[in-house]
Amino acid sequence: MSEAEIIEKLKSGSEPAFKQLVENYQKLVVNTCFGMVHNKHDAEDIAQDVFIEVYRSIHKFRADAKLSTWLYRIAVNRSLNFIRDNKKRKWFQSFEDSVETKTKALQNLAATKSDHPGFQLENQQRAVLLHEAIAALPKNQKVAFTLSKYEDLSYSEIAEVMDLSVSSVESLLHRAKKNLQKKLYRCYKKKCL
Amino acid sequence: MNCKTLHKELIFFLEGDLPLEKREQLEAHLNECPDCAAFAADMKKTLQVTEDEKSTEVNPFFYTRVKAKLENSETQHIGIFEKVFLRKVLQPVFFSILLIIGVYSGIKIGQPTPVNVFSSTQFDQETVPYLNEMETESIETFLME
Ligand SMILES: [Zn+2]
Repeated sequence: MSEAEIIEKLKSGSEPAFKQLVENYQKLVVNTCFGMVHNKHDAEDIAQDVFIEVYRSIHKFRADAKLSTWLYRIAVNRSLNFIRDNKKRKWFQSFEDSVETKTKALQNLAATKSDHPGFQLENQQRAVLLHEAIAALPKNQKVAFTLSKYEDLSYSEIAEVMDLSVSSVESLLHRAKKNLQKKLYRCYKKKCL
Repeated sequence: MNCKTLHKELIFFLEGDLPLEKREQLEAHLNECPDCAAFAADMKKTLQVTEDEKSTEVNPFFYTRVKAKLENSETQHIGIFEKVFLRKVLQPVFFSILLIIGVYSGIKIGQPTPVNVFSSTQFDQETVPYLNEMETESIETFLME
């Protein structure tokens, strides 16, 4: 089934077409959501809602638009809503404190799993550090960075998803990386890992 | 190049965003400064995280869950619809019926009913014919006189 065929059949409520759509784009949507929320379970949960939204609003989809662009948009918006509704970080907790709390929890977990060879503490702690640094980015920088790093989208593809100019995306990514660098350096100096 | 400049440019170096000339300057500094080289190695490992996290395998139960969630939310949809219907339509209808019953019974109660007082005192008996007369006499005949 081609993309146009899937959309056409989906508009008449075909279930095989919906199944095909989910299979074709599951990785794209889950990856994007994961890049935004950094939790596999939450990412899959949000991704399921993305496909339900697609199923319900397929009649609004314009034939000249790109399906992937639309999916990225819904995935990004739903992830942002999820982040807004689940602000777990306390406003008085600094970035370093937050990383420290989470890496300590990992160390405790590692102590109980010492017989488990697949559990690599250092990588897990690095993941926590990077996730916290990405989570601390302003909204648009976070979106641009996620689409660039987790989905390898080009500047122009990100520009299309975010409805911005290519130069704005360039600037967002530049600022995002500068912010991340600052956080990673501070953490390195303080040996927070 | 000094350490401070390197710290400002390092992430762009690691991400491959720098032009060749800049890249060579940074490489030169990293070769002669162990501190910066250690930081660069550390940051490289941290940035590698996103590469390792890109999912390559897909959850085989994903579609089943989407479908279950969709069907579940559709029944909930109907549930919400019923609730709205109940509140917006049935409830006003119920209260209107109650109001109509209320008004109707009010009219019924308000209407003069023939009072049977024959069995009471003598005084009452004298007034009864008069009351009965009023009741049987229609308003038209009353006006005609
Ligand atoms: Zn140096």
